[in-house]
Amino acid sequence: MRPNPGLLFVLPALIVLFMLIAYPVAYTGILSVTNEQGQFTGLQNFADVLRPRVTTQALWNTLWWVGGSIVFQVLLGVATAVLLNQTFPGRAIIRSVALIPWIIPGIVAATTWAWMFHTEFGIINYMLTGVGVLPEPIGWLTGGQTVMPAMIAINVWKLFPFVAIMVLAGLQAIPQELYEAARVDGANYWEEVRHVMLPQIRPVIVAVTLLLVIWGLNAITIIYAITRGGPANRTLITPIQIFRLAFENVEFNQAAALSVMFFGVVMLIVLVYIKALANQPGDNQ
Amino acid sequence: MTRMKPLKLAALFALSLLSSAASYGTASAGEVVWWAPNWGEARAKELAKKFMDANPGITIKMEVTVSNGLPERVLTALRSGSAPDVIEVQHGWVNGYAQGDMIIPLDDVIQDKADYVKAATDYVSWNDKLWGIPYRIETHGIIFNKDHFKEAGLDPDKPPKTWDELTAAAKAMTKSGRYGFGITGGGEVGNTIFRSLPFIWMNGGDIISADMKTALVNKAEAVKAVEFYTGFYKQGLAPKSTLENDGLSLRRLFIAGQVSAYQSGQFDLPAILQENSKLNIGAFTIPAPAGKQTAAILGGWSYVIPKAAKNQAEAKKFVQFLNTTENQGFYTDTFPARNSSLKLARFNDPMLKPFAEMLPYGRPVPIHKNWVKIVQAYFDGIQRILLGDQTAQKSMDQAAEEIQALLK
Amino acid sequence: MTAAPATAPSPRGLRRPGLGLPLILVGCAALMFVCLFPFLWMGLSSIKQLQELYTIPPRWWPDHPTLANYYKVLFQSRIPRYFLNSIIISVGSTGLALILAIFAANGFARFRFKGRSFLQACILVGQLLPTAAIIVPLFITLRVLGLVNTYWGLILVYMIITLPLSVWMLTSYFKAIPIELEEAAIIDGASRVGILFRITLPLSLPGIVAVLVYAFITTWNEFVFALCFATDSSVKTLPIGLAEFSTEFNTDWGAVMAASMVMTVPIALVFLVFQKLFVGGLTAGATKG
Repeated sequence: MRPNPGLLFVLPALIVLFMLIAYPVAYTGILSVTNEQGQFTGLQNFADVLRPRVTTQALWNTLWWVGGSIVFQVLLGVATAVLLNQTFPGRAIIRSVALIPWIIPGIVAATTWAWMFHTEFGIINYMLTGVGVLPEPIGWLTGGQTVMPAMIAINVWKLFPFVAIMVLAGLQAIPQELYEAARVDGANYWEEVRHVMLPQIRPVIVAVTLLLVIWGLNAITIIYAITRGGPANRTLITPIQIFRLAFENVEFNQAAALSVMFFGVVMLIVLVYIKALANQPGDNQ
Repeated sequence: MTRMKPLKLAALFALSLLSSAASYGTASAGEVVWWAPNWGEARAKELAKKFMDANPGITIKMEVTVSNGLPERVLTALRSGSAPDVIEVQHGWVNGYAQGDMIIPLDDVIQDKADYVKAATDYVSWNDKLWGIPYRIETHGIIFNKDHFKEAGLDPDKPPKTWDELTAAAKAMTKSGRYGFGITGGGEVGNTIFRSLPFIWMNGGDIISADMKTALVNKAEAVKAVEFYTGFYKQGLAPKSTLENDGLSLRRLFIAGQVSAYQSGQFDLPAILQENSKLNIGAFTIPAPAGKQTAAILGGWSYVIPKAAKNQAEAKKFVQFLNTTENQGFYTDTFPARNSSLKLARFNDPMLKPFAEMLPYGRPVPIHKNWVKIVQAYFDGIQRILLGDQTAQKSMDQAAEEIQALLK
Repeated sequence: MTAAPATAPSPRGLRRPGLGLPLILVGCAALMFVCLFPFLWMGLSSIKQLQELYTIPPRWWPDHPTLANYYKVLFQSRIPRYFLNSIIISVGSTGLALILAIFAANGFARFRFKGRSFLQACILVGQLLPTAAIIVPLFITLRVLGLVNTYWGLILVYMIITLPLSVWMLTSYFKAIPIELEEAAIIDGASRVGILFRITLPLSLPGIVAVLVYAFITTWNEFVFALCFATDSSVKTLPIGLAEFSTEFNTDWGAVMAASMVMTVPIALVFLVFQKLFVGGLTAGATKG
């Protein structure tokens, strides 16, 4: 029997990934159920890592972080893409400019923002107090209420260009006929956005959103560089907790246990996602 | 098909990479791979050259490390079994490596152990064995702006000696947008541990008991010290930005004239003068409660040799070379760990005097496998106080509860 | 195939409605401000002397602008060498990931086979484990393959990061192409690979460019893997170069900002040049041809 040609197409990528990731996955799995001496300990590591109060707090923070980031990344990204899909002079330059937050190295972006948000040195407080919007400087990164929104804002700023570029590529691929048909029906621009553009780029938005979820669940650079999870764990998210366990506490077994649980939850999201996607238009043959 | 061209090019490019990749290998015989931090690179090169001239059979291959991500990089290398031969690490990391069986004991390498500052060798000992050779030690002192002192009517030649005097001085200097005494409450945990834990020690308290069975952080002595430390912020004597400040931010606020005094090591002095040579700065030893002795955490760096090192014999020889009286004194950024090196002319600078005076009061932190988590719990407690979530006592009670759970 | 340019004038009566010019102007101004504000701050910091970097209150324009930081970055550091390394590694891994992803995405988008959903999920596995968990075993893998401290090591490692996303994004772009075009080609007797290269790819060029940009930027900025797997100066990349301007207790911010500029601006310029590729492939002309 000849193998399915589809399988042949996906095989090279799968083989390369398998070669690189098989051992790390197995290694993490084994670490999660053994102790430092390599003896099997069952679910001990899982119990140990779930016990501290901070684990639950980190989980809630993670939800906030991911949810808050994605909503604004997608909204801002799609709006930017729709804008940049217009024809106007200087468009090429604006498109390149829109890419800049994404190109700046994460650690540099994080430190620059931390600097700009600083209560004393920060240009943001300086400008806002200067024009009288604020009576006195705000401790953006020191206030329990403002620190997480500030982190989310930085994350949105950093990644909305990614959404914009991906969606813009989707918009570019929309067949001219669809627009023409809409125009024959006398649609104005906003109706065109709603009835032509958005439905056509839905698969792209769906894929981008899933990837943003995965990224958000894995992204530690911004928070770790600015607050390290503080103050008082207000911005502690699970991946930072894993990072701390592994590299600050040298507890690779517990870190592995937490990673496995994390992996399970995300995998579940992914599978639900794929199942939901499978019944969508655009899925051919 | 012109469309295919880029792909073909990419494939060709990939192939050419493949052929060029094979040229890098791992350490060969007689080669010692040395991971040295970038801040000592010039001096490290000089030492490596000297050593190679004297030992023609051995090559020193220097690989420069950076402070950002260094613990991850070292741990990854050690755990994966593909490690260099000599690594420079902070004293505090050594025990974790030793307990994880990732480095070798160096009792046969250290020359004249009696010449070393005892707190330093204690720091890197575990299970009656020595796991690193400390070559650099330092403690904090207090750096202050002499002009601000004078403006507040204080005598810069008679700096505060007790806690009360320090608070009074800070109060006197806090005016017209200036803050008298800066403390840290953000950044890496270590920043705040280095600055606040010594106050607990001075007051006769500790975070955990000597037998490492009981959390002591909510006992009266400790809570009083924590109140003293966080009080600078609570009373408005430390900047509003305290919760986002680490040592580096404090230094910048000091340079900008916003903060009049703060705790740090002597490594800050050249940096301050480089950025603002007009500042009239001085330093003094850290005040203790009246009638009690000062204290500090001993910081600094050690050499370790990984278990996975390919050329351990040569590495040992090289580490011995690095730790002669002259070479240790030459290489250290702050103070050397050998008393004989400390006598070198380089350490005779009067500005360094208060820091040298602090050295005998420097203590290692307890060696406990959960130490990092313990200080994290304590640090979270400090942040809760600064945020206004809890009182010092309540916050330390919670920290004690969390720490107690880590001591089993 | 001769695709008509997307901007070809349409018949007057069917002129494409668009946003009004004022709205475009306001949108672009807002976008520029949001994107450039921190960037401008970085740029200004890179021409400040040490004394003017941290002032209270902060200052926009320095009294004594200087190019000393750029001189330091370009002539007194290892940044130029790292720039070369970064280009080799980013181009290599982007190219490789793109080739593999094009084939895989074609498979996922155009064929039904057993376990497709499962395999599609499998592609993502590498992305689902936190870096902290996989870095040690990955190092061991590289050691066994003899790839520590080589270009190839990093190129392959970056596959784990960029390949899954590239496959997923390309799959969604390929799905957006009307199947009728390909069916017509099948009737004409074209092979599967031929269809992929002659029809699917040209039509999804914007998508390919987007994925390319993604893969390139991601590898260009990656820090932790590069830090751990490339310890020798001959393979270190730019993000490591940035970190080398920091010492234990200090950071040369002027130099870091200058180096960041050197790292960022060329990429934005390259994208500016390649704008032409980022234009719809599926124009009226294409469906007719």
